[in-house]
Amino acid sequence: MRAFVLLRLAARSVGRNARRSILTAAAMVIGLALLIFSRALSDGGHEQWIESAVRMGSGHVAIQAPRYLETGKIEHRLERDQLGRAVEAIEALDPELGVVAWAPRLSVSGLASSAASALPVRVEGVDPEREATFSQFEGELRDGRYLEPDDGLHAFVGVELARRLDLEVGNRFVLTAQTASGEVEGQLVRVAGTFRTAVSELDEGLIHVPIETVRAWLGATGSATTVAILVDPSMRTDEVVDALSVSLESDPDIRVLGWRESTPDLDSAVRIDDYGDYIFHIILFAIIALAILNAVLISVLGRRREFGILRAMGLTGFETGVVVFVEGLLLTAASGVVGMVLGFAITWGFFRDGLDFSGLMSSEMSFSGSIIDPVIVPFFQLRQVLVSVYFILVIGSLASLYPALRASRLDPADAMKFEQ
Amino acid sequence: MTRFAVRTEDVWKVYPQEPEPVQAVRGLTLEVESGDFVAMAGPSGSGKTTVLNLLGGLTDATKGRIWIGDEELTGMSERERARLRLDRIGFVFQAYNLLPVLTALENAEFTLLLRGVPREERHARVHALFREIGMEGLADRRPGRLSGGQQQRVAVARAVVGDPALVLADEPTANLDSATSDALLDTMERLNREHGSTFVFSTHDPRVMERARRLITLVDGQIESDERRAPARADLPAP
Repeated sequence: MRAFVLLRLAARSVGRNARRSILTAAAMVIGLALLIFSRALSDGGHEQWIESAVRMGSGHVAIQAPRYLETGKIEHRLERDQLGRAVEAIEALDPELGVVAWAPRLSVSGLASSAASALPVRVEGVDPEREATFSQFEGELRDGRYLEPDDGLHAFVGVELARRLDLEVGNRFVLTAQTASGEVEGQLVRVAGTFRTAVSELDEGLIHVPIETVRAWLGATGSATTVAILVDPSMRTDEVVDALSVSLESDPDIRVLGWRESTPDLDSAVRIDDYGDYIFHIILFAIIALAILNAVLISVLGRRREFGILRAMGLTGFETGVVVFVEGLLLTAASGVVGMVLGFAITWGFFRDGLDFSGLMSSEMSFSGSIIDPVIVPFFQLRQVLVSVYFILVIGSLASLYPALRASRLDPADAMKFEQ
Repeated sequence: MTRFAVRTEDVWKVYPQEPEPVQAVRGLTLEVESGDFVAMAGPSGSGKTTVLNLLGGLTDATKGRIWIGDEELTGMSERERARLRLDRIGFVFQAYNLLPVLTALENAEFTLLLRGVPREERHARVHALFREIGMEGLADRRPGRLSGGQQQRVAVARAVVGDPALVLADEPTANLDSATSDALLDTMERLNREHGSTFVFSTHDPRVMERARRLITLVDGQIESDERRAPARADLPAP
């Protein structure tokens, strides 16, 4: 009964000075909405970076031989039986885990030579059919076509590399690399098409060749250096890594990596960007906390006589403090709900198709092997939204503690001296 | 069961202050009989309000002992004093007595609510009191929509609704015009007579002093005079 009385007093007090309550709540509502919006935008940007990097790199999840990540050499590859086990493990995964595509790759560093020049390149042997849905290089096509399942001695070449080698669609050039047996062997291929991404490393140095051609050329029949896997949503990456690690744990020569491990530069970039966001959030939280503290404290100082009356009526100092604390909590909780709705409404209502930053950046920008799309589409993560709301509630509670303490420690006889 | 609503024994209240401590109450020894209607008069700074705060447990005595009925107030914890105030003491202050977020009815029933009295009983008691003091029809108004006299009547209703052993009223008529003061005093006299509530006032108001059955005059924190003008209870024979 007493708890109910305290709650009712607190609720009425929040409504009593509507203007002050609304102004205080507005600080929290706008703060939370801004937080949800900026978090969704930031997560959306990260998702784009990751999506772009993993499609052109080794996927959200990569299955490799243990030392391949460090050496990048063909001698550290998955042999035919290991590749078979890896594929079996992928196909046995629970569909709920969200694996949407996988592709084997046999990659090697080598030299591309034409009559005009000789340049270092990264040759990726790919399954044209699987790769088309995976890396989606087709979308970056500048000339000719992407590889097709029946292709043999065909190559899909970065446009900048083609320019430097003075190659056009249909021209032939020679790839040279160390084979599985340690010999240096050449392979003549013909340009099927060229691509342009915003990633200069790819445009200047990547060549896709049908995987069977590369296997035959390098004497690595049936093998691959990586099986790349795409996961949707990317948040399930760790679950897929765990599931595959369990399936393949009997073979110590197979290693399962998440994108954070296989693409450490991108992981660092996301973390650094997150830290920047956290600093912004801390500043925002501090402003919100001060707004609440200010409003509730002023309210307490202006109601000393009222608290004196409450004490005279039989409330303890602690209970008087509880009234003030609950006032702060109610204000925070109401603001939390409204702020969350407003945050969703603004983000989803106005920016669901993305926020266009093309005025601020070049249309082709990249880093860490990732293409930066100037249009960032917000991405909501329930966990992030709940964390934001949780922090607002914690901040609101903490900011209400001091005024509550002040109210609980008021001397009732002194409090009664104050005129209202 | 004691016949006294309140007793004090050599009570002192000293405020530590520079350059010298202030002795607001000095060796107060007092007995107030149950059902009495007592006024404490005296010039400003004589210690009237401090005495009421001491009797109500709103401030601690520096020295001495205080009993409310047969319960000793001095030495009680803050929680025990809060319970004692709730169960046995009613307060009426000079002004701004009511909680502005509650209606007249909610203000008047506040102590009953804290005591856990059921809603029907609370409302019945408050409405009966409101009829007695002419507040019918105003139960749902918030303090801001009541006159000063009406607010004080609600405060008196709140103070007596729980049948406390003692009602402490700190200059209850100070902010009221004479007609309203008389009406309020009529109300308190009637409640004292009909409910047997013990009233102790601090006052400057001659009208209050005239109606008091016992008039205590304080000067510099000490009792200068103590005049019994009528029996402590209306049903007792004149002295």
